[in-house]
Amino acid sequence: MKDTVLLLAMNGLIWGLIIALIALGLSVIFGLLDIINIAHGDFFMVGTVLAWFSLSATGNFWIGFLVAPLAGFILGAIIQRLVIQPIHGAAALSIVATFGLSLILQEIVRITFGPTPRRMLAPIQGTVPLFGVEYDIYRLLAAFVALLALAGFFLFLHHTKLGIWMRAVRHDRETAVAMGIPAKSVYVLTFGIGFALAAFGGAVAAPITTVDFRGGVDVLPFCFMAVIIGGLGNLPGTVAAAVLLAFLEGLIQSVADPTIARISSLVLMSAVLLLRPQGLFKGYAK
Amino acid sequence: MTGRPLAIGLAVGTAVFLITVPWLIPALIDSFWVSVITEILIWSLFASSVNLLFGYVGLLSFGQALYFGFGMYGTALGIDHLALSFWPAFGLGIVSAMAMALVSGVLAVRLTWHYFAIITVVFSLIFYFLAVSMKPLTGGDDGINFSLPPVLRLGGKAFGLTDPTFQYFFVLVVVSLCLFLKFRVINSPLGKGFLAIRDNDLRASLIGLNVYVLRLIAFVMAGFLAGVSGALFAFFGRYASASYMFYQVSGEAVVWTIVGGAGTLFGPLVGTALFIVIREIVSSHWEHHSLLVGLLAILAVIFAPKGIVGLWNGWITRLDERAAASPRLTLQADP
Repeated sequence: MKDTVLLLAMNGLIWGLIIALIALGLSVIFGLLDIINIAHGDFFMVGTVLAWFSLSATGNFWIGFLVAPLAGFILGAIIQRLVIQPIHGAAALSIVATFGLSLILQEIVRITFGPTPRRMLAPIQGTVPLFGVEYDIYRLLAAFVALLALAGFFLFLHHTKLGIWMRAVRHDRETAVAMGIPAKSVYVLTFGIGFALAAFGGAVAAPITTVDFRGGVDVLPFCFMAVIIGGLGNLPGTVAAAVLLAFLEGLIQSVADPTIARISSLVLMSAVLLLRPQGLFKGYAK
Repeated sequence: MTGRPLAIGLAVGTAVFLITVPWLIPALIDSFWVSVITEILIWSLFASSVNLLFGYVGLLSFGQALYFGFGMYGTALGIDHLALSFWPAFGLGIVSAMAMALVSGVLAVRLTWHYFAIITVVFSLIFYFLAVSMKPLTGGDDGINFSLPPVLRLGGKAFGLTDPTFQYFFVLVVVSLCLFLKFRVINSPLGKGFLAIRDNDLRASLIGLNVYVLRLIAFVMAGFLAGVSGALFAFFGRYASASYMFYQVSGEAVVWTIVGGAGTLFGPLVGTALFIVIREIVSSHWEHHSLLVGLLAILAVIFAPKGIVGLWNGWITRLDERAAASPRLTLQADP
């Protein structure tokens, strides 16, 4: 019993780190472009599929870690120019546009990858003893990679010119433009990064979940929960909330079935929305 | 030619078409299309519940499928478990949808905009997962089937929805009544209050409107519209399923409403009809019809951000302006 609890809690924690990556992408897009991105779950799904294709094309799993975010970035930039820019940040219209986008992405994957879900084998098999349970090595590695990517993203945001531009446009667009920051390009870049984060999360998660053209449908509400509970636009809060939510769901899953676990986190989220709409972590991080 | 006769002509044409559907359509195409049009009417009522909230009160609900589902299950369980006859089951569906809307509305309408969109989808997800897990009662994603009781008996003869023509007219009458009610509400002082809140809720509260109560009333009314459509759909399909409570169903109604024209009476009908007709025509020839649907949604918001009916209204207004402007032009040219 203690072992199961530990195992499910660990699974939850690691899943939370991956979700944090995806939710971070959603939060960046939401915060900067004011877009409610219904297609974000599908960006994750595209990442899992890209990982599948690059594995079957090259025989090397790790290439997917490069291909998924790169292709995601390019796709995201193209989508921003073609679909998002013409609607000028009108949030209601963005829901319709990204809903259409979600249908298109799912259908393209259904045509190319096929309608049947598939399992992907992890590149490293085997387990290691951890706190007295035998734990899957790949999952530990996935957690480590996700942590690295999270750290890399925050370094990028705070210590590179592009990252500072992104924060500047988000903070005050008018002033940023007056200072010579090309806001339009920053939007393209941001959407690309948002897609890339989700796609990278997908590549990391591919051997843990199934690769399926509808794989984004369940991930989407979870990411929105993380963004809201963390506080809209609060990036560190989003990461903390994703990890916390998935960890809690893992814990509850060890005593109840997964549906009950999902319902509990939804109820928790309603409470946060109603009592602390600014997010759980306001005042702890900015 | 000014816009008014054009609009009246279109309305009369549509009404004549809708009344003659059960004879016109089988003669022209196929009797299958009568049931497609029935389905369009039901879903457009669902879309107009999104429209009432978003188009007239400015609240974007992403969880109307919850009240659709309650209307559906209230009716189906009423017939299947409680052995109710037609009208009490219909009433049970509507009342349970409205009760659910009242309970969740009390909490939800405290929030606005993004937060409102997200709390409505969260509420609907909670009950979606509950419905999925309570399989013995709800049948989960597979749903439950039931057989239809007759609608009414006249002189020893029973009328039921198993007759497609009767079913069509039943749906047409119910949907028209609901849309008429909606029209009356929007043009009443209550409706003016809704519009005031949509345009500026702070100003609305400063002139003495109780924003919270008005939003709650609108929310329960939208629950009523969604509940009626859910009950109708249960009758139409003779079954109820948890899958109709998922957030994607709510999302479709939002898309239909915005593409058709939010804040217009017939926008949801036009948007729903467009998407369902395309689905029916294309899906029989081409497996990947959602590509077209997705593309259409994107093109619609880029080229017609006010929706199809919004585009049409703009066109009519321009026609009127031109008609009004032309005599003045000749006057100026005369001397």
